[in-house]
Amino acid sequence: MRARTRAVVTGVGVVSAWGWGREPFWDGISGGGTAIGPFSRFDHAGYRTHVAGEVPPPPSSLPEAIPGWPRLSWADRFAVAAAREALAEAGLLAAAGPSPDLAAAGLFFASSTGGMLEGEEFYLRLRGAAAGRAALRWIATQPVSSPAEAVARAFGVAGPVETVSSACASGTIALGRALDALRSGEAELALAGGADSLCRTTYGGFNSLRSVDEEPCRPFLRERGGLSIGEGGAVLVLETAERAAARGARVLAELTGAGSTSDAGHMTAPHPEGAGAARALAAALADARVEPAEVAFVNAHGTGTPLNDVAEGRALAAVLGNGAAPVAVTSIKGAVGHLLGSAGAVEAAATVLSLARGTVPPTAGRGELDPETGVDLVRTARVAAPGVAVSLNLAFGGCNAALVFAPAAADRAAAPAAG
Amino acid sequence: MSGTGGSAAGGRVVVTGLGLVGAWGLGLEPLAAALLAGEPLAGPVDRGAAASVPPRAGRGVEVAARVPPDLSLEPWLSRREARRMSPPSRFAVAAGRMALGAAGLPVGPGAGADPPDPDLGVVFATAYGASSFTQGMLDQAIDEEPEAMSPYLFMESVANAPAGQAAIHCRAGGPNETLCQREAGPPAAVGRGAALVAAGRARRVLAGAVEEITPLLLSVLDRFGALSARPRPFDRRRDGFLAAEGSTLLLLERDDDARARGAEPLAAVRARGGAFDPTAPRNDWGRGGAAVAAAIARGLAREGLGPGDVDAVVSGASGARRGDRFEAELLRELFGPAGPPPVLAPKRVTGEYGGAYLAAALLALAGRPAGPAAGFSEPDPELGVVPHGGGAVQGVSRVLVTGSAAGGSAAWVILESPGTVQR
Repeated sequence: MRARTRAVVTGVGVVSAWGWGREPFWDGISGGGTAIGPFSRFDHAGYRTHVAGEVPPPPSSLPEAIPGWPRLSWADRFAVAAAREALAEAGLLAAAGPSPDLAAAGLFFASSTGGMLEGEEFYLRLRGAAAGRAALRWIATQPVSSPAEAVARAFGVAGPVETVSSACASGTIALGRALDALRSGEAELALAGGADSLCRTTYGGFNSLRSVDEEPCRPFLRERGGLSIGEGGAVLVLETAERAAARGARVLAELTGAGSTSDAGHMTAPHPEGAGAARALAAALADARVEPAEVAFVNAHGTGTPLNDVAEGRALAAVLGNGAAPVAVTSIKGAVGHLLGSAGAVEAAATVLSLARGTVPPTAGRGELDPETGVDLVRTARVAAPGVAVSLNLAFGGCNAALVFAPAAADRAAAPAAG
Repeated sequence: MSGTGGSAAGGRVVVTGLGLVGAWGLGLEPLAAALLAGEPLAGPVDRGAAASVPPRAGRGVEVAARVPPDLSLEPWLSRREARRMSPPSRFAVAAGRMALGAAGLPVGPGAGADPPDPDLGVVFATAYGASSFTQGMLDQAIDEEPEAMSPYLFMESVANAPAGQAAIHCRAGGPNETLCQREAGPPAAVGRGAALVAAGRARRVLAGAVEEITPLLLSVLDRFGALSARPRPFDRRRDGFLAAEGSTLLLLERDDDARARGAEPLAAVRARGGAFDPTAPRNDWGRGGAAVAAAIARGLAREGLGPGDVDAVVSGASGARRGDRFEAELLRELFGPAGPPPVLAPKRVTGEYGGAYLAAALLALAGRPAGPAAGFSEPDPELGVVPHGGGAVQGVSRVLVTGSAAGGSAAWVILESPGTVQR
């Protein structure tokens, strides 16, 4: 097989319930606690449940550093802040104005709801259910593509800009789309990620499905009672290995494979055996040209709903179950909640940080492992075993998507490998 | 480095089927007749009792190209199936099955049959998603209480609900992606679908667009000053676009797969790409058409093509004031002093959203005549682009399809005759 362009990660930015930045995120998910709790993004007195992974107020320096801040939706702000941090780490943040590096870069983004939170405010006012005038500025940020466009405008991204909105698999699909863009030569540099804010529609919607835990969610545990919705975003800087080597960029990890499928079975419930998820995982491993036995750990979808965690466990067992030792599985959703469209982006960021720092963060949540899930759940931080890492998402509409990341290695970063 | 277009290991990516649902009804021929007539497919939209934004004084466009509410989608979608779907899901499933049928592929035994076809993928673009269902959920929360929100409305309100329903009802077990890129969505989705086939991630892909226009959405677009009942692309007096709903889906597959099963390709996807104009305001078009033209020229060059190899343009120009200005700058810069080849602007008939204008490219490649530029009477000296006036478009073997969105995103594909020798 001929040599294939390799995609490496050279920057990561995160906004989560742990705060505005990669380090509070990493410290938070590594510590075993949860940032899910009471929230005030909107009035939820009439809703069934009352906890979420809400992003705390931004540091006072941030609104000044980001142009047009007052007119950005929360999702836009999460997106731009995460992109800024990722570009800074990659050494691509221009001191002022657009980054010349980004003039040919692609942006492959994900969001479930874009500026829906602000759009809801518009509609409540229009209907007289909230005080104030229904000014058009409340819906100016409504498009699902708005966070991506805010990032592109802020940093001068002028290559292809696309937003994937495939529910909870969006972020993972967007990263796969970026991988394809680098491999095909469509771009040599890409930003990939996602952003979503809490909103009434998704909060009420998941409550209507009785899918929300009254307590912070407890992935893979016997006591789990559903998911917790979170908000925030993450952006990864991806570039070809050649480009990274030529400019001497530090490589955090390599994105080696992607795969996605549809269950084509049910709109909201996963296939009971996780058949579609297993096919997505197998496709991603084949794309990465690695064997199942090479997987060191899995950053699971792990929403904490009774159905997901069993179906996902079965999918993992079906694909990875023949190894000598069970594969370590972690879910960060107990610590930050389910970020819906941007979940895959934030979880990819966690996976990259895990590889770069050699530690698998624990799964937060009180209780006992549900043996029916069949997973080797990481309950306290572990040293990452040698091998590749997988990030997996299962979504509404039957979407499944998986990514494979490999640790950076000095010799691997230097030259393109023959496939 | 492989190409960015449709050059798969097993040959080119070709279009073998087309499914269409829209204001004209079902399928290609009624749409072709409407395009030939050249008049907008505009019909009145009754705002009814639903909440909407009051129009500005002296303005107020209350027409759209909507799917007739009593349009039967049979045989592509039964009434029983339709009952559990939002309007855009209905449009997309019907169009998907129509495209599969047109391609000579099994339309499928329906939901529940196992296993799904792992080689069939779905890439849909939607600008607004199932907005009637989102609005319905919020109405439930306002008029009753948040706990009254319906799980059915929620499930069908997510942007990827049509793609999920198409997977279920067309038995598509492959990659399933929904793009939200506003007016650039349809060519972006076709391009992404072709890339999935070219990369071997799916053997066949249903790619295109789906849209729903609600009275609320129409009133909001109107309040932004975006709408016209009489769209006039490239005309000096243009004052907005016609909002449209429906679904347009292309079945994409590898040329050798198509020929092996005796299918006759309608077109090949030769090249694709996207670019962003950072000068664009949040909800309007900017002045960066030249940079996007340069990106298109680079994309063509990667496929061994130049602007001179393009025989016709199926433009995304919709009659939007600054959108058409952006598009005209793009075309002027791309084609230089020689000027562009014939420029078709089918959104004067089909309206904006739903992707129906893609069909005009397939019709041009089939040698079908174009409709008149009805309503166009006054060229805009600032634009320097005049749309094709109707009748035969001679010798079209390669068409550039553009789509430029408010907010800055642009996408394009090159469709060529299936018999075109690769050069």
